[in-house]
This record gives sequence, C-alpha cells and structure tokens, in this order.
Amino acid sequence: MTIHIVEDDPGVGDSLALLLGEIGHQVEVYPDAESFFEHVPPGPQDTVIVDLGLPGVSGVQLIRWVARLSTPPRVIAITGQSRRAITELFGDDLPPVLLRKPLTEEALIALL
Amino acid sequence: MREKQTRSVSALPSVSEARLESVLGTAVDGIVVMDDKARILLFNKACETLFGYTTEEVRGRNVKVLMPAEYAHAHDGYLNNYLETGEKRIIGIGREVRGMHRDGTEFPIELSVGEAATPEGRQFIGIIRDLRQRKAVERRLAEAQAQLVSVTRISALDEMGAAIAHELNQPLTAIMLYLQAAKRKVGDDHRDEKLVEIVDKGVREAERASQIIQRMRRFVEKRDPERRSVNVARLVGECLDLVTMGTDCRDIEIANDVLDGLPDIAVDPVQIQQILINLIRNALDAVRQAPVKRVGLSAAVSGGDMLIRVSDSGGGVPPEVVPTLFRAFSGAKKGGLGLGLTISRSIAQNHGGDLAVEPNGGEGGAAFVLRLPVDTPERGDQVAAPPGRKGPTA
Repeated sequence: MTIHIVEDDPGVGDSLALLLGEIGHQVEVYPDAESFFEHVPPGPQDTVIVDLGLPGVSGVQLIRWVARLSTPPRVIAITGQSRRAITELFGDDLPPVLLRKPLTEEALIALL
Repeated sequence: MREKQTRSVSALPSVSEARLESVLGTAVDGIVVMDDKARILLFNKACETLFGYTTEEVRGRNVKVLMPAEYAHAHDGYLNNYLETGEKRIIGIGREVRGMHRDGTEFPIELSVGEAATPEGRQFIGIIRDLRQRKAVERRLAEAQAQLVSVTRISALDEMGAAIAHELNQPLTAIMLYLQAAKRKVGDDHRDEKLVEIVDKGVREAERASQIIQRMRRFVEKRDPERRSVNVARLVGECLDLVTMGTDCRDIEIANDVLDGLPDIAVDPVQIQQILINLIRNALDAVRQAPVKRVGLSAAVSGGDMLIRVSDSGGGVPPEVVPTLFRAFSGAKKGGLGLGLTISRSIAQNHGGDLAVEPNGGEGGAAFVLRLPVDTPERGDQVAAPPGRKGPTA
C-alpha cells in the first residue's frame, strides 16, 4: 500500500510525506496532477491525498479521473479553501473525504 | 415666417440680417435677445426647443418668463443696477444658472450675456447652453468614481482575510506536520523527555495559530457572495469605463473585443468588478513604459466556463515570478502589498473559477485569464445547497 500525495506546496508535500513515513507508510509525492498521471495508476490498496488547489489540472479533475479507475483507491482531499467554494467546486458530484488545512496528525491517522 | 415677424419689429431687412436669421436658426445653443426693458426681441429655434415656447408666444414678454421664480424676482433689480452703475455681474462673464421650461421644469443652463448698442437702443444677447447632458455625465462620473472606491474597499477586508488565511495555512500546515513527525522520531528513538516536551509545545503553538486562522476563516466565510446573472459585455465595459475615467490612458490603445451575446455568468458583480478593475489597471500600468502600448480585453466560453482575458503588450511576467505571482505579499510592484492578484484569485476560486497568467502570444506581455462559471438554470439549487450536500470537514 502506497500513499500518493499530490500537493503543489513543497513544504506541505514534504512535511506530510515525512510524517506519514514516520508513521510507517510508503509515500510518493507529486507536485501536480500531471506528474501523478505519468506514474502507474494507484491500486485499490493505495490512498491518494490530493490538494484541491493544484495548478494546471485541478484536484477535482484528478479526483474524477481516479474515481473512474476500475479499482479506485481511497481518496482524501485536503484544502485551504472555504466549505462554500468546495461545494461549488464539486457541483453535483459528492465531494470525497475532506481535510481542511492546517492538517493535524490525529485527523490524518483517523482517516488512514 | 419667423423672419417676417422679426423684421416687423426690427429695422429694415437686409442681407446681413437674413444671414443672421439663418445663423440663429441653425445654432445649437439657445439665443435670446432682449432690450433694456428685458423684453424679448428675438428667440431662436434652439430656445423654442429648450423652453417650450414659440417665438410668437414670447416676443415682447419679459425675459423673466424663462426663469425660475427666485431669478425672476431679482432680475429687474439686476438689470436696473447694471443700467445705472455699469457694474457687470454676468455680462461678459457667463455663469451656471437655471432656466425654466414652459411646463415648470427647471434645468441647469450655462448663460453668457453680451451687450450691443444698436440704433434701437441697448440690447442684451443671451446665449444659453443646456447643461442637462453634461450634468448627467458629471453625475455618472462622480457615481462611477464613488463606486470605484467602494468596489475596491467593500470586500477587500474579507478577501484579504481569506487570502491571508489561505496563504498562512500552507506553511502552518507544514510546520505542524514537521513537528509531529519530529515528535514521533524523538519519541520512538531516544526517549528524550525534554525534547518531546519542547516539540509538544511547538505543536500546541502551531495549533493555536491554526485556530486563529480558522476563526478568521469562519468570520470571512460568513458572508455569502451575492450571486446573480451578469452580462459579461456590460460588466467588462463598466470596468473599463471606471478605470479609464480615473487615469490618463490617452496614448494607450485599448481594444475591447468582448461581444454582446455571450452567455451570462453567475457571479457577485461587485467582486468580479474588483478583479477586472485590478487586471485592467495592472495591464495599463504594464504598457505605460512599453514601446507598444496595447491592452486587449476578450471573452469566450470554454468547457462550460467563461474565460475573460485581459492582455497587454508590456514587459510580461518573468517565468521565475509566475509560481509566486498569486501569493500574498510576494508582489514585486512598488507601493502595494502584492495582495491584488492574491485577492483576485481567491475571489475567482470562491466563485468556482480561477485566475491564471499566460504569455500574451506574439505581442509579448502578459495575459491574465479569469475563468468563471457560466450561469445555468439549475444554479439556484447549487447555490442554496442543503447542509447535507456539503462535504464533511475535519
């Protein structure tokens, strides 16, 4: 099982990878959706943590893409945006599990 | 007909008088000639339109008929005073006064009065310019400027709060995660109680900061954007007016290619106006020193979104600046906090859109692309989403 982190902020991506690595997970970090797509698609055992405010291909598009995989992984969206903006972003789609920044270890562990 | 009657009052007809008649008839400004008893001798076509009287109706009457009561009362006094003392109050000066239409409507006019000594005695020539249109323009300009001020202030505080919260969140998130990772590491490997305690305190402080941000965010999020259907061409046109009215941009070629007939967008017009004004101002600033001074505005629909593009022929955005261009307090522009673009992007994202920058094709310079959702009939449902529809949050 691998945790894929798609996060454009290098500080957030690195610290998240470090903490999850400390907890004992195997972690991959991608700075954007494009580089995530270049890799082997995540398996059903994997978890994808995606920042919703990505440059280029958006986090929402990434989540839609992942959801269409035959065996989709678990998705956790992280965001600094407002609840209202998130509801707008997803429109008719149900938003995935959502963590708002700043993230805490407890909230993360509870979801993993 | 008027010519004949004029002649019956004045001296013998002549070529120059005929010429004068045609000048009076075609003049855009109202022209009234009166004698030293304030009796109207001549009342041109423009006056007929302005005041609603025909020449026949007013000839020979006191010029007071064209004035509101307070001027009318004083007029004889003014005239006598002048005739006795030669002290000029309006003659040769011209001033803004009010005229009165036949129906009682008062309206602002600019009145200039000249004097002529004629074989028939002293005559006074009044030239009257209708100021209603100019007043309307002035009022619109004042309103527009007041609006510009309020537009830039009204949501600036909210948006600044949102932008700061958003920007602080990133490093704060990283700090908390690093500290938590460090705590795990020292806790597992060394059992250094003191260090664990210090890291714990660090985490607590970071959490405190995060609570402040969350409180700030809750406060900012209280205000829902007032969304409504907005016509893109009109919105862009208004913003362009607002910016160009307030600044000197005579030597800048501004091409507004935003056509009417685009679908409406579902936005808070005040907030989007704020973005567009900011972008247009930036574009104008960018070309001010450039050899080619061109600013372009266009809009098109793409994938269910409206893309509004503000381009300029200025120096462009250096590639190394692009990644931090929309970050708060990173702006390279003098005399600002560098919040304009941050706030603009935050507004756009709150609308479910975005703001991006790209090179402006062959012209050089930069192009800012504002993406906003097109208005759809079911929008009403989405905006008023029931609580159950909102995503779970941490």
